[in-house]
Amino acid sequence: MSSTPTFIGAIEIGTSKVTALIGEYNGRELAIIGCGECSSRGVIKGSVVDYKAASDCTHSALEQAERDAGERIDLVFLAQSGGHLDGFYNEAGVSVKSSDNMIDGDDIRTVCDLAKAKELPAGRMVVHHIRRPFRVDGRIVPTSPENLVGQKLEVGYWTVHGQEQRLADNIHVIRGFNLEVRELVLSSLASGHMVTTPEERQNGVLAIDIGAGTTDFVLYRDGVPHTTGVVPVGGTHLTNDLSIGLRLTEGQAEKLKLRHGRALLQARDKVEKVWLDGNFAIGDRQFPRYAIEQITAARTWELLEVVKKKLGHAFSPETCQAGVVLTGGSAKLPAIADCAAKVFGVNAHLGEAPSWITENMREPGYHTALGLLYYGVSAAGDRSAPARRKGGFFQSVSRLFATS
Amino acid sequence: MKLEFNHNPARSWRDISQPVKPRAMSPEGRRRLVLATLRVGMVTAVAAGVLWSAWQVSRVVGEKAPHSSAPVPAELVKDIHLVTDGALDRAWIVDTLALPKNATLLELDLDQLRARVLAHGQVVTAMVERQFPSTLVVRVSERSPVARVMVALGDEAPQTLLVARDGVVFPGVGFKVEMLETLPWLDGVKLARSGGGFAPINGMATVAELLAKAKLEAEHLYQTWHVVSLARLESDGALEVRTQGDALRVRFSTSQDYFRQLARLDWLLDEALRRTGRAAAKIDLTASTQVPVVLAAVAVADAPRVTALNAPAPALARPFAISAFPHLSSQNKNKL
Repeated sequence: MSSTPTFIGAIEIGTSKVTALIGEYNGRELAIIGCGECSSRGVIKGSVVDYKAASDCTHSALEQAERDAGERIDLVFLAQSGGHLDGFYNEAGVSVKSSDNMIDGDDIRTVCDLAKAKELPAGRMVVHHIRRPFRVDGRIVPTSPENLVGQKLEVGYWTVHGQEQRLADNIHVIRGFNLEVRELVLSSLASGHMVTTPEERQNGVLAIDIGAGTTDFVLYRDGVPHTTGVVPVGGTHLTNDLSIGLRLTEGQAEKLKLRHGRALLQARDKVEKVWLDGNFAIGDRQFPRYAIEQITAARTWELLEVVKKKLGHAFSPETCQAGVVLTGGSAKLPAIADCAAKVFGVNAHLGEAPSWITENMREPGYHTALGLLYYGVSAAGDRSAPARRKGGFFQSVSRLFATS
Repeated sequence: MKLEFNHNPARSWRDISQPVKPRAMSPEGRRRLVLATLRVGMVTAVAAGVLWSAWQVSRVVGEKAPHSSAPVPAELVKDIHLVTDGALDRAWIVDTLALPKNATLLELDLDQLRARVLAHGQVVTAMVERQFPSTLVVRVSERSPVARVMVALGDEAPQTLLVARDGVVFPGVGFKVEMLETLPWLDGVKLARSGGGFAPINGMATVAELLAKAKLEAEHLYQTWHVVSLARLESDGALEVRTQGDALRVRFSTSQDYFRQLARLDWLLDEALRRTGRAAAKIDLTASTQVPVVLAAVAVADAPRVTALNAPAPALARPFAISAFPHLSSQNKNKL
């Protein structure tokens, strides 16, 4: 166990709010010690469009979190979302070199490098290389194939890439606080890691994080992320549709959405009306509940349909036996799980944070930041593990002292 | 043949340059940047200081090593410089130090040399210094003689020694003969051997005080003093001064003020000569009010006489007493 803890900041710069959490990581355990929040400005659909405004609110959230924790952040894990993110699958296969057909480390490295060797268009940068399970002669190997016997070794990578400028803008906002971005994690991976269990991921589960400006999703199969994606549509679009359809301001539409919006049509009485404010104030108006539900339900259905369409052949009820898990601020819309179940043809439920997360952190709005911490720590550990194994005598000795 | 291919041609987000210009930072970010820079600067400065110190130490150690193994030949003592407040001269210091031939400065034992210099009674304090490259400097302070004493040891011829104010007896070196001849001789002292010389004479402080007072206040008297006897110093607290040929013997009391006694003596000498036409032969100043005076047998040729007082002369060598200060007592005046 390391003697000096590292204070990791997990930051999600969302369209509606910026969330910053601080975790104290001692090399073995992670404890949440601080939290900061700020209404987001200068961010549209997960992308920074006003650097100054986005910096101000992000730094405000960071300062608040540091005050709450009483410690200074050492490094940052940053959530990445936005419509510019895209992904593709590429796989490669090699013939095992050894005469006895036993797979060694060189075979694994070669096939992994080949699978990741796909070039990207100009201005695009890799955010994640997500490896799918190895296959040895067509047989799926969930863990390392080293020392297994076979003639052909195959592996595939789901590569997530994004626009360079958008990625740089997000990083520079954090850097403006003189903090280093150590990990850039896809929002869907972060939140999906938090709201799904390992069993669900093994059986196949689709995690959908419906935010204000974007909807991030990740499909898990065989315990690993299979496909990820971002739809630049979120809760604000429901508000916008209500605003246009009912001729309301954005604030009024948001209020109606939160009070009377539903993901499935429930109202039978087309003339039943609801008050805008309900406080009998001058200017208070009535609106048909049916119309409100119709608009929000149609838009939600459409949003989920878009997700399903983007998943394409990757999704099928047979390969997604654990169903759909919904999270994010807009997942609080009533009946959204039923709507998802109907759209995807599998059971669906709202995601919940693990029981060991404290009550005040169990809100869906924190799932991404929480997942960011836990997923980031494990991802950073995985990446540093091979390097450690290659270390010499002195590194081994120093590790011995570090863990004692 | 090893398979060659392009490793990860796609750029990762890690290739994005993270540092931003300070103008793109928030005030808090700039503050953190300054603090971080200061911290790095301090750590660097400390590290640099430690390294510099280590380098200096290693350099000094490295420089000392060849010096100790290959010493530079020291220069011979070419000059001995004496700084003194008295009469000692360079010849004396050269003889006293008796440095070996081809001696170098570093070879000299300064403590031993200083002891040699201090062994001479004329020297009060001494300091011996090396002045590189080749000069030895000796700084001394000396005793001043206040009297002389004649010493005869066994069969040796009598020799004259000088006595300082603190009673130290020493063979004077470098003093002018004319100056030495003005010094009175000491009588009635018993010299005790001490080491290679003599033990200091007790009571010399009071003798020196008398001599100094006489020399300063009544030099015409002092010039006639030939011998100062300390024979009755311890027993009676009296000093006896004799002039050349014992023409006059004056006894001083050590318990009374010398200035008053000198003044009384001066007056008495003059008064006796003026009144009687004869010089005084013995004057005892130890009594507080009366001064016994013995007049010389032969009258002084040009001595002034008091015409009004035509009293018969007293018998030869017959003592009589007069008031030390007759203007205070008219009876004494009449008696004369």
